[in-house]
Amino acid sequence: MGTILQFVVLGLGLGAIYIGLGTGLLLVHRATGIINFAQGAMAMWGAFVFAQLRLDGTLVFPIGSIELERRPPVAVAALIGLATAFLLGLLVHYVIFRPVRHAPVLAQVVVSVAVMITLQALVVLRFGPNNIDVDSLIPEDSFTLLGADIPTRELVMAAIMVLLAAAVWAYLRFTRAGVATRAASENERAAVLMGFSPDRLAAVAQVVAIMLGTVAVMLGSSLTGLNADNYTLLVVPALAVLLVARMESIAIVVVAALLMGAFQSLINLLITKPFWPQWAQSGLDQVVPFAVVMVILFVQGKRLPSRGSLQTVRLPDVSIPKFKPIPAVIMLVVGVAALSFTQGTWRFGVTTSIIVMLLALSYVVLTGYLGQISLAQGAFAGAAGFCLSKVTTNWGIPFPISLILCALVATGLGMLVALPAFRIRGAQLAIVTIAAALAIERFVFNNYTLSPPEGNPIADATLFGLNLGVREGRDLARISFSVMVLVIAAILVWMFIRVASGDTGRAFLAVRANERAAASSGIDVRKTKLIGFAISAFIAGIAGCLIGFSRGQLSAESFSVFAGLQVLAVAYLGGITSVGGAIVAGVLGPLGIVYTLLRGVFDLGEYYALISGLGLIITALLNPVGIAGATREQVAWVKRKLSRSGPPPSTVPEAPAPKEPSRV
Amino acid sequence: MPDTLLETEDLAAGYNGVPAIRGLSLSVGPGEVVALLGPNGAGKTTSLLAMVGLVPLLGGEVRVLGAPLGRRKPHQIARSGVLLVPDDRGIFYGLTVREHLRLAGRKADPEREAQVLDRFPVLRNLDSRRAGLMSGGEQQMLAIAKALLARPKVLIIDEMSLGLAPKIVQEMLPAIRDLAKEDGIGLVLVEQHIELALSIADRGVILNHGRVVLTGAAGDLLRDRHLVEAAYFGADQFADTEGTLAG
Repeated sequence: MGTILQFVVLGLGLGAIYIGLGTGLLLVHRATGIINFAQGAMAMWGAFVFAQLRLDGTLVFPIGSIELERRPPVAVAALIGLATAFLLGLLVHYVIFRPVRHAPVLAQVVVSVAVMITLQALVVLRFGPNNIDVDSLIPEDSFTLLGADIPTRELVMAAIMVLLAAAVWAYLRFTRAGVATRAASENERAAVLMGFSPDRLAAVAQVVAIMLGTVAVMLGSSLTGLNADNYTLLVVPALAVLLVARMESIAIVVVAALLMGAFQSLINLLITKPFWPQWAQSGLDQVVPFAVVMVILFVQGKRLPSRGSLQTVRLPDVSIPKFKPIPAVIMLVVGVAALSFTQGTWRFGVTTSIIVMLLALSYVVLTGYLGQISLAQGAFAGAAGFCLSKVTTNWGIPFPISLILCALVATGLGMLVALPAFRIRGAQLAIVTIAAALAIERFVFNNYTLSPPEGNPIADATLFGLNLGVREGRDLARISFSVMVLVIAAILVWMFIRVASGDTGRAFLAVRANERAAASSGIDVRKTKLIGFAISAFIAGIAGCLIGFSRGQLSAESFSVFAGLQVLAVAYLGGITSVGGAIVAGVLGPLGIVYTLLRGVFDLGEYYALISGLGLIITALLNPVGIAGATREQVAWVKRKLSRSGPPPSTVPEAPAPKEPSRV
Repeated sequence: MPDTLLETEDLAAGYNGVPAIRGLSLSVGPGEVVALLGPNGAGKTTSLLAMVGLVPLLGGEVRVLGAPLGRRKPHQIARSGVLLVPDDRGIFYGLTVREHLRLAGRKADPEREAQVLDRFPVLRNLDSRRAGLMSGGEQQMLAIAKALLARPKVLIIDEMSLGLAPKIVQEMLPAIRDLAKEDGIGLVLVEQHIELALSIADRGVILNHGRVVLTGAAGDLLRDRHLVEAAYFGADQFADTEGTLAG
């Protein structure tokens, strides 16, 4: 009993952090309609500044730093940390979130994911990848209750965060600006007509949210030390808490956050018990948020409230792909040429680009065509990759069968994740999928029983006696492997074009545009979503297997949540609605051609994550259709100009493009 | 007091660069009631939205108290005293009546509040009721009460009768007119109910296909019903069927 109590109290420390992040998420969602996946990453920056000041008196900026003569006292360091958070909040609001406030949900999710990737990369670059130990802001003490040592630090932390959350509640409840924020979240136009500027209210909310999160992370950092990956991903349980509170109630956020923290702590106690199976020990605490989200969504059964907005911009246009033999042959020739004229790391870069193109294609199917936002594609790929390791080394299943078998495993996983998509859509689906991805990463990929830490070797592929392995001697990327990747990619792209240009593709687009309208014209929305998730996960699975083959062995890092998000970033950057976009994404993608170029020529490999994050932010702001989409528009524009300057066209004037109803 | 509170001159406005209204010129003086009428799709709501800055101007000018609106943002226009009650009533279902009134007045002003609530006594008993739980008529009263509380110079009401029982409309419209006269508020009404609107208005402006097709004193227009009807459907061979039905 005493131990249980002790662990519950220990969990309150984590719960306090969730309160900070969850309340901030709620406030920002209320004020802007955006679910800010970067909440954890944003809150972490100020805490890192604080920690570094305390550690060695260095004041770190995104660029450059100042060495103070001596370490500032705790209060001064904390104030500097909060001031940084304040500035960061304003910057992110005015430069990044304000321009996308009325953009489609997809653009908002992508932008906040981009901020998350960027800040995470920036923290690793500026503060290093290792844990920073932080002195506790709260004196560490304990008292005895029921025979157990109860720490006071966690209790005080929780109390402080509850008080701050109560202050936010009072702001929304009793101040005119707070009431106006609530009003604007319901009917933005009406709030404008009463003389309120939603932008200013949103700026206030954004700043309050980041400060709250920063306080929470500063307080909490002494528990486990500061670590860029961990704190960035703490947003996932906080998002689960937000869903539990239906994005409305701060009181429920507080209670759910504390319960979540306590529950995760209890699970950490439970898995130390001798009766608990060893295979189910790793990452179980991350399975909890996912399970909570799923249960809540199914029990509540009704749609979560969405936010009224002034106007919405439609999603990027889709052009129905057509199979054109000549461009296809040209692409293949270019691919073969790129592989033949390169070698070593360069050929490996080109090959990786082709694989990343496939991964991006899985986003094109699911997000571009079907309009479902999934942040779990990396996990699908990873599941197939790890499965491949087992299938090839333990069971010795031969090559093409092993590939398809493992891709089918990913397909099954994808169809499982499709289930919540029956009920929810938009940013909320993104929350579920990122929670699923994190749960899979921690529970499966990081699970030493399932995937040994010394690596998961994958046997080289052979077909009819032909060695398709990636390495031989000093050759890092054998041509036969690279050509195999190219052939598989070509087959999948061809299959995608067949599907996308047929009835299934039209059904996808109808579901993307308006689910009710699609249903009323005879489309089975659920079946369509299931098919979409299945196809997308199959493609991701193949990509995962190819990644496995190309590495020879896999570790959990190969398929981390961040790796998946980076591919989403480049997929959106390239243009999430077309094969062309996927190809651009492949070129830009992690370890692809651009990365090889950055590392090999400019020696900037470590900046890759930062550059891709920033590139994504800029693309999403300036050019929501992505690079390929913009290029297509420009090509169309040039064609129009050329045809106009030629002989007068005898055809009727160009019919206006059918408008895609925008989805809120 | 100036002669005109709100004035539009040769106004053109629309969506994606395509004008939905063209050449709209009208003015509202203190205590004056102008009824803006026309079939569906005539451009009535677009005109109103352009006046409060929610639809970009493609030409012409809007002046409030003689000063052009220029590049002022919609919320700044609202603060300068031009208030629109939109056709969705512009209320917040999750907020209580008290919270609505709180938002409406920049500073707490019990005197003004009492004055406004005297006009809509029903609202006194609904102080802590959420707007989403109130009836359509009560919601409309709340929408107008909160607009009045902000001491508007010009009050623009879009389709007040939408979704309301005719009896309620017949009671409310004259009450609003009286208030406008008392306070010297310029009132612009968009209405589908032509006769009722003209019976309380000083002037009527009839739009069709984005242009003013008829304008005159409300009394004259009421007398010459055939002119109004001609402006609505006749006189224009392109009048769409929707417009005909709306008459």
